[in-house]
Amino acid sequence: MKLLRVSSELGDNYVMTYDQQNNKDVINFEDNKFEIEYIGPGWREGELLFKINGEVHRVYVDNGFIIIDDETIFKVDKITETPIEQGKSIEDLIRGKEGEILSPMQGRIVQIRVKEGDAVNKGQPLLSIEAMKSETIISAPVGGVVQKIMVKPGQGVKKGDLLLIIK
Amino acid sequence: MPPFGKVLVANRGEIAVRVMKAIKEMGMKAVAVYSEADKYALHVKYADEAYYIGPPPALESYLNIQAIIDAAEKAHADAVHPGYGFLSENADFAEAVVKAGLTWIGPPVDAMRAIKSKLDGKRIAKQAGVPISPGSDGPVDSLDEALKLAEKIGYPIMVKAAFGGGGTGITRVDNPDQLVEVWERNKRLAYQAFGKADLYIEKAAVNPRHIEFQLIGDRYGNYVVAWERECTIQRRNQKLIEEAPSPALKMEERERMFEPIIKFGQIIHYYTLGTFETVFSDTTREFYFLELNKRLQVEHPITEMIFRIDLVKLQINIAAGEHLPFTQEELNKRVRGHAIEYRINAEDPLNDFTGSSGFITYYKEPTGPGVRVDSGVTLGSYVPPFYDSLISKLIVYGENRAYAIQAGIRALNDYKIGGVRTTIELYKWISQEEDFQKGKFSTAYIAEKREQFLKFLKTKEQMKAALAATLYQRGLLKKITTTSTSVQTQSQTKRSNWKTYGLMQQSSYRVMW
Repeated sequence: MKLLRVSSELGDNYVMTYDQQNNKDVINFEDNKFEIEYIGPGWREGELLFKINGEVHRVYVDNGFIIIDDETIFKVDKITETPIEQGKSIEDLIRGKEGEILSPMQGRIVQIRVKEGDAVNKGQPLLSIEAMKSETIISAPVGGVVQKIMVKPGQGVKKGDLLLIIK
Repeated sequence: MPPFGKVLVANRGEIAVRVMKAIKEMGMKAVAVYSEADKYALHVKYADEAYYIGPPPALESYLNIQAIIDAAEKAHADAVHPGYGFLSENADFAEAVVKAGLTWIGPPVDAMRAIKSKLDGKRIAKQAGVPISPGSDGPVDSLDEALKLAEKIGYPIMVKAAFGGGGTGITRVDNPDQLVEVWERNKRLAYQAFGKADLYIEKAAVNPRHIEFQLIGDRYGNYVVAWERECTIQRRNQKLIEEAPSPALKMEERERMFEPIIKFGQIIHYYTLGTFETVFSDTTREFYFLELNKRLQVEHPITEMIFRIDLVKLQINIAAGEHLPFTQEELNKRVRGHAIEYRINAEDPLNDFTGSSGFITYYKEPTGPGVRVDSGVTLGSYVPPFYDSLISKLIVYGENRAYAIQAGIRALNDYKIGGVRTTIELYKWISQEEDFQKGKFSTAYIAEKREQFLKFLKTKEQMKAALAATLYQRGLLKKITTTSTSVQTQSQTKRSNWKTYGLMQQSSYRVMW
């Protein structure tokens, strides 16, 4: 079994365990499990057929874009293979590190509602980001103490930028 | 003979392109304006001429009246079309256009001033005989007064900014504690967004539908109502999917509204296009007036599809002094079939509809019978974070509602956009959902179905990632940077932390830039 990390061109990150069992790829996320079986080339040029959880899907790979059933597209930015650390449960590895708050979007920091050293509860508003004419409040995914604030009001941030650290 | 030689479109994105199409079809020249962020935007490329008007923030460009008037003069334009949003309902801008000797393609300045705030609109609606929901007659001066009035009309109530639109400054309040909590905040937000802090309150309809009527008038006092649009599928009081006609209304219910709406137009001598927004209760079968929007609406194409008319051309002809080309009776006879509009927003429905800006790296528009796309982007376009998130509109038509939905599902499947997140996948889910298909929904639909569509979207995203991993492991995915070590060198601001994005709350509001 391996731990795989797939990041998409949109900046989304997926952590999963990957295993091969009887010619099937078995992939586990926190909330979903997929059994994927390669059937072979499809009827059309460049098409591959896969059985995913018992259902047949048609897949094209075009310049890094994966087009599934002619409907949805996905572009991989990077795939990383990581050895599974001893003594850690799979759930912990998939869940990742808690406490480092990353920006879920591109935008501009409007207001920071906490100071370094403040104790915060899970769900407490930390700061707000403005983009595309709406303001989004970012709340603490975990409780703890604000150790470091990495951004200032007015600053532009990209998706995935580190905003603050809660310990 | 075209009505004007050259028309400046004081807007950006899909609406600028849409208006320019009408301008070109009428044999006129189209002039674009653009901010620094839109230097390479589609509306700039599509125009016959384009003028730079300022830096990315809208206040310094698309809301800069002087810069736009200067551009119009430089271009020797004859008329200005404002699109929707930005300065479209700004009487000062309309006045500046007229003073510069240009034709304003919109309502007369006096009519705009007569219904400047939503409260003015309510007063005139009352006079015209349109039912209005119980609430304050004017701005509520203090929190104390608001609490007393709320007690009298009964909770839930809506606290609304007297000025502004687009869902800004509208909050539902269910009890006195909440009213205390939102009062000062909404005052501040209203002031920040519209320069005026006036708030008023009215009784909230529980699970209402949002239905709006298209008023069209000419300067000779002729009026028609081009039926209604159902705009109930919303998030944060902003529309996502609209359809015409409404699946909820009977002919006599629709026709009941025509007379008071026309009366409203007559009272303020309104001409051009206007949209009469109402809430409609499925249980009492009553309409309540919300406001008259003094502009071309985002969702105008669905009216165009069922009546087979071009509202933008009509608007331009009316501004040029033409008579309405049809009576109400003639218009009623034109109606055919059913149309649905899906607003394709660069947003992430999985993350509370946060904006998703970036370059469009893959773009394939649907085509075919019953499909229309009004788009402001193409392959390689940049979606900037400075403006709203609407990038295009998918409009589908069928001879009845069921056929229109089928066309919608097909077209949504054919529509592929890469590089930014969009609402397309969400709309695929909604279009196949049972209550939507039956026409059974209220403005709470998105909130009520949230868990279901989130689960669907998340599973779909994970399935794509799982497939990518499989293709990679089997060597079928090429040209991808890979690392096979757990040690990664990354900058402090771009950590390898794969899961802990901040939690986002749904309480967002629209702000002016």
